[in-house]
Amino acid sequence: MSQTTETLTTVPEQKGLGTANNLPTDQTAAPGGAITAAAPQSDPQQADLSAATDSMTVAVPQQPEPGAAIEAIAAVVPPLDLSTATPAISAATPLQAADLGLTISAEARWPESAADHTAPSLPGFIVSAFSPIAAETASRCLSRRTETAAVTAVLIATSRGDRESAAHVARTVAAGGLLGPLLFFQSVPNAVAGHIAARWNLTGPVVCLADPASALETAALLIEDGDADEVLLLRIEQEPAVQDQAHAVLLQAASLAQAQAAPGDTP
Amino acid sequence: MRAAGELAAQAPASRARRGDTEVVVSGMSVFSAFGAGVGPLLEAALAGTSGFAPVERFDVGARRAKVAAAAPGSPELVRELVRAVNEACDEASLPRASRAGCRLFLAIHGNPEVGADAFAASIAAACGFAGARAYTSACVAASTAVADAAALIAQGRAQHVVVAAGYLVDADQYALFDAGRALALDGRVRPFSSGRGGLLLGDAVGALVLEAAGGPAPLARLAGWGRSGDAYHVCKPRPDGEGLARAITDALHRGGVQPVDIGYINAHGSGTKQSDVAESAALRVSLADASDKIPVSSTKSIHGQALEAGALLELILTIAALGAGRLPLNAGYLGPDEDCPLALVLEPAAADMDYALTLNVAFGGANTALLVGAP
Repeated sequence: MSQTTETLTTVPEQKGLGTANNLPTDQTAAPGGAITAAAPQSDPQQADLSAATDSMTVAVPQQPEPGAAIEAIAAVVPPLDLSTATPAISAATPLQAADLGLTISAEARWPESAADHTAPSLPGFIVSAFSPIAAETASRCLSRRTETAAVTAVLIATSRGDRESAAHVARTVAAGGLLGPLLFFQSVPNAVAGHIAARWNLTGPVVCLADPASALETAALLIEDGDADEVLLLRIEQEPAVQDQAHAVLLQAASLAQAQAAPGDTP
Repeated sequence: MRAAGELAAQAPASRARRGDTEVVVSGMSVFSAFGAGVGPLLEAALAGTSGFAPVERFDVGARRAKVAAAAPGSPELVRELVRAVNEACDEASLPRASRAGCRLFLAIHGNPEVGADAFAASIAAACGFAGARAYTSACVAASTAVADAAALIAQGRAQHVVVAAGYLVDADQYALFDAGRALALDGRVRPFSSGRGGLLLGDAVGALVLEAAGGPAPLARLAGWGRSGDAYHVCKPRPDGEGLARAITDALHRGGVQPVDIGYINAHGSGTKQSDVAESAALRVSLADASDKIPVSSTKSIHGQALEAGALLELILTIAALGAGRLPLNAGYLGPDEDCPLALVLEPAAADMDYALTLNVAFGGANTALLVGAP
């Protein structure tokens, strides 16, 4: 299969500095200090499929010499208007969940630490970090759960979806180029939801919504109506000029969580 | 290795619940390859007339496939969405002044420029709704929106929800499906048929008003709904159909309906071997012996695959067929596929239907089943 056009025409969008304005605000998340800058691939011909996302991103550690790092970034990325940087995204807060009778039993983010500068490769997904970050954040969240539910739904909340893939497709089609077959399925957020569901045997409904408040409402409805015992709610955004972010929460009925807790466990 | 018979799941017991309020469809509107209105679409489906033609909307010179079920000219998505929503609301006697307390659920392809939620909000504002949400779950986006809307109304949390959906055949998706070698090169969609060559894209913009029962002259009841996940693969369906079977079982359970009560199934029927065979297995698992007798067609053979909007187009067509007492055809049929032992609708036929089922599946192993009943 030919991926030549994809790798050759990839021009990664600019990623922001924005570190100071991009820290997770949630106390449960470790502050991320990573600065990620995108740079053209040095040798696209060498990139294999699984490494495509890696090779798109040049990570520059903030420490130990932030000044040097920023200089390095300035060499590849023009200065940014920091007013466009956004705070850490949220899939749901404990209070929002509680309002709908839900409780958060596990949680994860991308990024969580300075080590989260480059999305891990996800075989079968190319060009964009959207799906790799989604899969990694889901894995972190699910590996932190203490109990396994019978039926887990997968809800993805994303406003703009996989912007990098969409932009790549639009550019390639406009230029009369050819697309590789792998892009066919990754153009919809369902694809990575299917990856997560298969990897973790999650047999509940798969739903993709644009905003997290609606997704949380659907999560509550699915649990209340017996469509799922718990819901993995995953929010992913590729906003312009900030690092790609994801936040995953595992939701279950608050009443169930109380029933599961042994009497001596509650303070 | 286990034999296929051992792999095939038994009809699963349903754990599905629902609120007590009955949900009805009180208005609907559609735009398709056959133009504006339910009438022309229904007429084509009942006659087995396919809407496929060479693509003129954009250049397909570099594509392997050349055909789609697209309406003439260059319809605009926003304009058609607003028109569909207003028409459906008019039919449902939901005037603009009454929409301020209602929400719009919009099934749409992700919008990387403004965001799908902002796009939905703009359509809602143009039509006078209090708020909106956007569903982007590919080919089950619209049916998932309908299921959520029905669940909310059944629980008594909403009186009306308007579900809209839109996809107009475009160069980018066409290129993606062509690159994925998913498109039929012979210019026809042949669901459940030997000699099939794949799917073809089609236009669909539609709107449906769902409300709590009690109003005059509803078009149909939204009797049941179910959704499930395969937990199997990024884009392939589970071969034994167990996931889709659970969605069907939940829909029947919520509707209080037995398989023998179903008079017609509008299948997902994408026209690809893998999907058609898995869906046939799902019907066998969930409906048992009744699956041999229930008339089945995939109207994608008529109007094409409309992605995020497809499930709404197919629901609207199923409701229209239920009302007309006639069965939509499974067009493009060349001959039997022994792995799809279904009672396909191959000739125009009348039917006295109490219930019809419409099924959709999507990438990510997402499955939905919607059960509609005569009003």
